[in-house]
Amino acid sequence: MSGSAIDHLSAGIAEARAIYERLFPDRTLHFVLSQGHDPMSAHPRVIEGTHVPAPQDLGADYLGTVTRPGTGPNAPEVTIRLAIPRAPNPAEQKQTDAPWRPMRGLGRLFRISPMAYERVRYGAEMLRKRRAERVNDHRALPLGRGWDAIARPEAPETGQRPAILIGMHWLEVGGAEKLGFDTVNWALEAGLRVFVVASVPALQRLAGRLPDHPDVTFIRLDRYLPHHLWPRFVERLALAENIRAIHIHHCTPLYESLPMVRARLPWITVIDSTHIVEHANGGYPRISGVWSNYLDVQHVISGELVRYMRDRFHAAPDRVRLGRMLDREDQPRALPPLRLEAGQKTLHATFIGRLYYQKRPVVVVETLRALAAWAKGAGVAFTATMVGEGPFEQTVTALLRRYGLSSVVTVLPGNADIPALLGRSDILLLPSSNEGLALVCYEAVQHGCIPISTRVGSQDEVLPDDLLVPMEPRAAVRGTVRAVDRLWRDAAFLARQKEGLHAAFERLRADPTAKEVLMPLYRRIAESGA
Amino acid sequence: MSVLTMTAAVIVTFNRSDKLMKVLDALAAQTRRPDVVIVVDNASTDDTPERVAARAAADPSIRHLRLPRNVGGAGGFHAGMKAAYQLGAQFFWISDDDAYPNPDALEALHDALSGFEADTGWRPSFACSRVEWIDGTLCEMNCPRPVWDWARFVQPGRAWALVDSASFVSVMIPRWALTEHGLPIADYFIWFDDAEYTRRIARSYPGIFVPESVVVHDTPDNRGVNFGLIDEKSLWKFRYGARNETSWRRREMGLVGVLAYAYGVRRQMKQGHVPGRMRREIYRAILKGLGFRPAIERF
Repeated sequence: MSGSAIDHLSAGIAEARAIYERLFPDRTLHFVLSQGHDPMSAHPRVIEGTHVPAPQDLGADYLGTVTRPGTGPNAPEVTIRLAIPRAPNPAEQKQTDAPWRPMRGLGRLFRISPMAYERVRYGAEMLRKRRAERVNDHRALPLGRGWDAIARPEAPETGQRPAILIGMHWLEVGGAEKLGFDTVNWALEAGLRVFVVASVPALQRLAGRLPDHPDVTFIRLDRYLPHHLWPRFVERLALAENIRAIHIHHCTPLYESLPMVRARLPWITVIDSTHIVEHANGGYPRISGVWSNYLDVQHVISGELVRYMRDRFHAAPDRVRLGRMLDREDQPRALPPLRLEAGQKTLHATFIGRLYYQKRPVVVVETLRALAAWAKGAGVAFTATMVGEGPFEQTVTALLRRYGLSSVVTVLPGNADIPALLGRSDILLLPSSNEGLALVCYEAVQHGCIPISTRVGSQDEVLPDDLLVPMEPRAAVRGTVRAVDRLWRDAAFLARQKEGLHAAFERLRADPTAKEVLMPLYRRIAESGA
Repeated sequence: MSVLTMTAAVIVTFNRSDKLMKVLDALAAQTRRPDVVIVVDNASTDDTPERVAARAAADPSIRHLRLPRNVGGAGGFHAGMKAAYQLGAQFFWISDDDAYPNPDALEALHDALSGFEADTGWRPSFACSRVEWIDGTLCEMNCPRPVWDWARFVQPGRAWALVDSASFVSVMIPRWALTEHGLPIADYFIWFDDAEYTRRIARSYPGIFVPESVVVHDTPDNRGVNFGLIDEKSLWKFRYGARNETSWRRREMGLVGVLAYAYGVRRQMKQGHVPGRMRREIYRAILKGLGFRPAIERF
């Protein structure tokens, strides 16, 4: 038996025990443990009250039952069934999603015409969007202020320094996650102890990016605790660890904990950050809007979201705060000139993004194909780079081969040197089906590269009108080629776009950054809870 | 790697009680004995039932699974692995009733499975032994098939080549492979059931060849599976082999795969000067295989 297997299991059991021993400090706990076959989740099941083990509790993978006695002989029993996750294999470490396949019944259509398939998918997405407008509730849940005659609970004296609970969707690559990691660092800088949780079971491959600091604790609720028990865990944690604030980054079970927080832990300041309105159901901004009366601060990254919260949910103006995802310290005082020149003899286009449907990698390849054809006609030496990893990797490689673009387009993994790449690219392509306000567009402009994006989300806040193309797949491809052609042919148009990009960037720069919005809050919480 | 190690040996036998007893002796002498030995008796008509019962009386790890009729090696392995799975085994050592494992053969397979995963992070779908004939040479019919990058993790002292096909002669399969891919196809009756099964489970990740685990295969002669070697005595087995592989190729590669196979069989038979009557029998089996689509039983 390898030592690493034993260590892996022992560590998993210890992590799970710590969670449940905090949640049920005085009860008798029976941990029914088995060897799991899922690297991400322990598929927890919790049974409160007396439970007689049944065959489905045990099985061939049964490891054993660990009992933690309660505080007395009559302590209520809780049975916790856990399949301790196995270690991921190297392929899972790289990518846990299965390679993308066309929807059932549409495989032949995709093989014949990838763009026809994309058109069908776009149509379905728009249909869902229209339906979502009708089906989903866009009303904020009401919350009374309470009657002064009923005393509100007060924070107990714990002797602990104040802490913040930061809830993330997961610790994987993404724009919302980048802000999540930033807030961990800012909270630490403000003097808060930080507890981090994630709602979605995943390998949490970026957990290593959390600061290696004794005040930062990552609790694996995603693996070991069912969502319905989160509110109770949050209460225990808050009372024991002097939690003074909760910051929600797309973490559903923390939203569901809000009624408990408001009823029993009213001293806690609740902040959330949202980024992107999803077509299908409004996504996290809609969830935030629905819970807006339970939140103290709704931090958003774009003007579009400010309007969304105020107009759709009637959120109080002082509660919704715009904080751009820009790092003022990292920004050059003067932006570098944008590189593309009219009539130049070479053109390098770049795509940077996770290879998921949202980024529409198939449309990216079709755009590159169209640009290659355009470049041939214009006598321009065309090259391109695609950066990213995800389920569409195989599809992208196959399409590039099919279109004879393998020698023109370089495909790089997600850890490529992005600033260096943008520093030698003329055009950045972003034909996404949805975006909040894409960080990569900021970065492109900061490195002299011109972004061209679909007109989605808040992209119109960072790009001038002529660099925004329609979302419909064929129109997106045609619009991008048309925009590139005009930039290349029409020096005056190019100059106007450069000017427009710089002006938009300066407008964004004039807005407060996320750090400027959140740091004073964190500092105040750290001081008041001390 | 699993911390649970319950191992079941599954031996399929038919009317070879002397050799079977030697297999059970070899298992009893293992440095790491299996927890359960399931002897799948394909309705033997010799003294196998009595001799196995006598052994089981002295050794509680032996379970006698007597089938009501002879369902061939494929049906026997199917039944034995199913029974072992239901017993809760984590590892399945699959072998014939005429293959004698060296005392450390099973331990070496276990060590290789866990060592490979600890070294590389990958879970092999099976580990197979070096199968030797009684004179110490390689047993021709039990040579595993390497994958293109078989040498990826081969190192001095840990020469575990990646393979994607092996025979059911001393192969160790972890439980997860059965859970994910199901059981061998019983309807094959005999031949190609092992190749089909190991290729199926190797889709998750290839198996490994473990040369330090050695078994001796006590067959009457040392011949490989080549259609040029067909004679009156072996024709029936080749017919099953042709039908089964055709069925598999149709499933996995379509008609082009079947045509390529038929062409290879024809060439081998031509080179082996196989009489026309026998060749026609094989072609008929290939045609039969086109419409033969047995189901895969899953848990």
